Amino acid sequence: MNTLKVNGENYSYKDGEMPKTIADLLLSLGIDSAAVVAELDGNIIEKANFPKTKLQNGQTIELVRFVPGG
Amino acid sequence: MSTPFCRSAFLFMANITEKLGCSVVGIAGLGGLGSNVAVALARSGVGKLIIADFDNVEQSNLNRQQFFIDQIGKSKVDCAIENLRRINPKVEVAGYKTMLDTENIPRIFAGSDCIAECFDSAIAKQMIVETVLAKMDSVKVVSASGLAGYGKSNEIQTRRVGKRLVIVGDGRRSTDTCKTLTAARVGIVAMHQANAIIELLVDEIKV
Repeated sequence: MNTLKVNGENYSYKDGEMPKTIADLLLSLGIDSAAVVAELDGNIIEKANFPKTKLQNGQTIELVRFVPGG
Repeated sequence: MSTPFCRSAFLFMANITEKLGCSVVGIAGLGGLGSNVAVALARSGVGKLIIADFDNVEQSNLNRQQFFIDQIGKSKVDCAIENLRRINPKVEVAGYKTMLDTENIPRIFAGSDCIAECFDSAIAKQMIVETVLAKMDSVKVVSASGLAGYGKSNEIQTRRVGKRLVIVGDGRRSTDTCKTLTAARVGIVAMHQANAIIELLVDEIKV
């Protein structure tokens, strides 16, 4: 069993089913990556690097989704 | 009164005033958020504000933004400087009439302790938050997401994300879904932002 902590919530995955990258994680959560800021274990990951940033068991991810208005 | 309590309260206030007075805050965008954040920080005595917006004041802005009827058609940066001087002439204000992007943000806001993200578009909000966190070591950013509509004041929250990012708003009510922006609800979010910035400056940055 693998887990990721996303915005404080634990997500469990069977072996082989964990999202492989941040882009995969956003896809699995149904989130459009265009207006998202992501931190992986406290480090900012730039949007352009979402598809190539690999996820590992036990990592903590913070996702901030922006909606328009100001 | 000259009780010890009053004296310690005075010293406490003096300490806060001093910390804010030597602080520099960037304000990216002078719409409903930025124009209100700027006023609150000027009244609070923040030493220097760096403000940026490429736009002019329009009639449709006046239902929520801190500008006046006789300022319609003028640059928001010029008008904000004029208004802030009338509120607190001690605050130093640097204005930039330009569209902010990944290249000029680190240069324009160099020296800031903290930056308020006060844009309208979601893509622009993402761009500046990512740019500050990726390119501006140790600068904190206070951003807003979810402030459209009216009512539901208590759904607006201030949330800390990691060491350098604070997000204010309800996270979902957007101008796509709610269509309206009201002075009251945008104002609540702007004051959350200003309050979070003051807290960061006093408790974490100017220790």
